[in-house]
Amino acid sequence: PAVARINNGSFGCCPSSVLSAQNQLQLQWLRQPDNFYFNQLQPKIIQSRTIIKDIINADHVDEVSIVDNATTAAAIVLQQIAWGFAEGKFCRGDAAVMLHYAYGAVKKSVEAYVTRAGGYVIEVPLPFPVSSVDEIVKEFRQALRRGKQNGRKVRLAVIDHVTSMPTVVIPVKELVTICREEGVDQVFVDAAHGIGCVDVDMKQIGADFYTSNLHKWFFCPPSVAFLYCKKSTNNSDLHHPVVSHEYGNGLAIESAWIGTRDYSSYLVVPKVLEFINRFEGGIEGIKKRNHEYVVEMGQMLVKAWGTRLGCPPEMCSSMVMVGLPACLGISSDHDALELRTCLRDKFGVEVPIYYRPPKDGEEGGVVTGYARISYQVYNKVEDYYKFRDAINQLVDNAFTCASLPIS
Amino acid sequence: MEHEDPRNGESPHRSSKKSKFSSNYIPESEIRDEFSHHQPRVARINNGSFGSCPGSVLAAQRRWQLQFLRQPDAFYFNTLRNGITASRMIIKDLINADHVDEVSLVDNATTAAAIVLQQIGHSFAEGKFKNSDTVLMLHCAFQAVKKSIQAYVTRAGGSVVEVRLPFPVNSEEEIISEFKKSITEGKSNGRKIRLAIIDHITSMPSVVIPVKELVRVCREEGIDQVFVDAAHAIGSLKVDVKEIGADFYVSNLHKWFFCPPSVAFLHCKKANASSDVHHPVVSHEYGNGLPIESSWIGTRDYSSQLVIPAVLEFVNRFEGGIEGIMERNHEQVVKMGKMLAESWGTNLGSPPEMCTAMIMVGLPSRLCLNSEEDASRLRSYLRDCHEVEVPIFYQVPKDGEDGVRDNDGCITGYVRISHQVYNTLDDYEKLRDAINQIVKDGKTCKMLCIE
Repeated sequence: PAVARINNGSFGCCPSSVLSAQNQLQLQWLRQPDNFYFNQLQPKIIQSRTIIKDIINADHVDEVSIVDNATTAAAIVLQQIAWGFAEGKFCRGDAAVMLHYAYGAVKKSVEAYVTRAGGYVIEVPLPFPVSSVDEIVKEFRQALRRGKQNGRKVRLAVIDHVTSMPTVVIPVKELVTICREEGVDQVFVDAAHGIGCVDVDMKQIGADFYTSNLHKWFFCPPSVAFLYCKKSTNNSDLHHPVVSHEYGNGLAIESAWIGTRDYSSYLVVPKVLEFINRFEGGIEGIKKRNHEYVVEMGQMLVKAWGTRLGCPPEMCSSMVMVGLPACLGISSDHDALELRTCLRDKFGVEVPIYYRPPKDGEEGGVVTGYARISYQVYNKVEDYYKFRDAINQLVDNAFTCASLPIS
Repeated sequence: MEHEDPRNGESPHRSSKKSKFSSNYIPESEIRDEFSHHQPRVARINNGSFGSCPGSVLAAQRRWQLQFLRQPDAFYFNTLRNGITASRMIIKDLINADHVDEVSLVDNATTAAAIVLQQIGHSFAEGKFKNSDTVLMLHCAFQAVKKSIQAYVTRAGGSVVEVRLPFPVNSEEEIISEFKKSITEGKSNGRKIRLAIIDHITSMPSVVIPVKELVRVCREEGIDQVFVDAAHAIGSLKVDVKEIGADFYVSNLHKWFFCPPSVAFLHCKKANASSDVHHPVVSHEYGNGLPIESSWIGTRDYSSQLVIPAVLEFVNRFEGGIEGIMERNHEQVVKMGKMLAESWGTNLGSPPEMCTAMIMVGLPSRLCLNSEEDASRLRSYLRDCHEVEVPIFYQVPKDGEDGVRDNDGCITGYVRISHQVYNTLDDYEKLRDAINQIVKDGKTCKMLCIE
């Protein structure tokens, strides 16, 4: 209590009715684990996978694997790319394309599995603040062209559905179409923020791989995600990196047993559906209202601070980037983190801050800091007033990041 | 009539003042309370598979979980890392490691195997090793580890040599001798053995392997790296990683060390070139060393890694702490094993000194256990009709050998019984009587009805 928790995007949230159900499942395991292992675990995982398959409009439940989180899904997809290089399917120097704003962990995974195996990595620079979808599409096309230079083949494109920092909704459907036109082997959509946040229709989007965390915007406890793999001969060789008894029986079956674990978070999906359907319009209603409110709150804040949003409302989901007053003097990632800590410790506001370096030619007074505000069903307008007032107070006190202690 | 129970200690003190410095060890009633969440009336004699966790540790875990859920960002920035480091420090001391940097916490031994094997796989794929180079493993290595070798070694072009250990086994010498033979095979034709994977306590059939001796042999024979898969070890027998001297040593903490599912430690000897060992789930900390990489592998519930201090509190309520628990578990399981073997007219799978808190006990040959399916059927039958949970091992008869016999035929099946602090004599008597009943009814495994 008393914390303005406007960062659902980072770690998500889970209602107590679902936590209760999870606890019941944990106790069932502890009560008689052998019985649970032999008789209950697999049917319950299939039940969760089936529910997800329906929500995401996948053709077949075989296409849906449950894994711990998007980070794990990335390792799965990228490890098969690494094998492609190691086994000579790909040539050294063949390319992988990812967004400059790809999530840090995914970038490291690309380094560990693609660069190490001999792949050439291209980053798509994206403008921020961004004004239209066209800006993104243009940069993406250019990057693909670079990828295909010198007779290289683009083996994989990694595209965020909703980028993390700074957050923007990417036109994935259009980008996937471009990838197909340009002969990209495989497309992996990292939609960590996807389900419960934006529309996730696998057939519409058409990617080869699509992953989304269920603990961020789909009310599951930490942690659980799905990885969708379109049925095709092109991608039948995916494996979970933690190899166990089921190796070779298909990714979905491999992922359903990766050694002794607490799988309870994988099993509460039916209970989550119950929770969601108590809301008007179910998950669609929640998504719609979250989006409306976060835009409203974002606009309230930019008005109060005299700044701007990081993107037009139609390019955000249930999160939006809100410019912070330039006088705060945010001039590094370190400043952003310190300001965040100050907001947490002194004002009881939890919100991530993004440092946006000024571009060449930009004049002074440019906004260099953006807060990523989230809206989820538990948020209230008071949370955002608290944030507004905290920033106003800092401005009134002539606070600048330059005055923060150097760590 | 009270059965003999060493848990109350040799000389129980009955002081009226209960302070933590008195010798009032945890009474039996409290032990029952701690495991009251176990299904009642089930003779749970399979601690080896999935372990167990007392109520007080589960309560501590719940507190950690709620702390995260309450304010996850603050937890992530201010609490998580320190909690994991505190757990690693405790493990470091328990296993006699030199430095906490050598200790990583991972989900389970299966994950640790993937970590070790992935770096071997890289070396084959990147041409550091030749295709003829070999990896050595025990024939009875855990199935998941065998699959991991397939996925990371065989796939990358490496060869595999399996050490066939005798079972039943009579002495450590038998094991050492077979091991040396396999090394010779692995090095034949000028090949190099890049990795030896040695179980500390095999799973099925369960036997304690003389790892210290085998590691020494590996060093003498110039094997690059040694990985000890000690999934069952900690809380089961003394673990001294310096003494054992392996490059990698993993043990699950949720099997015999009272942690909730799931958590294991992987010890990496600092001296070796372990800078190329990575967690396969790559996240922000990639390149900062395995312990740091493993401490953040994306959003997860890390609470099972944080309760190790609470586990230490729990084990120290027992006389002799974890050593006392290990000693008594061993004594009891041997005693129960002998009781069963005597009642059934069968044998033990190994001498008492080659087992810890688990032991293999021969099943009457009249059960005609002649396949994996028979073993599976018998296990389900025992669970469903007699409320006994115990894993069954099918011993494939060796060509030309009769194997061990009882009065009626060849012994082809064994139960693996475990003893943990919550077990009572009743549990084993239940198993004894169930098997005797089946034999008395003239039923063989194939005749058993299961749902």
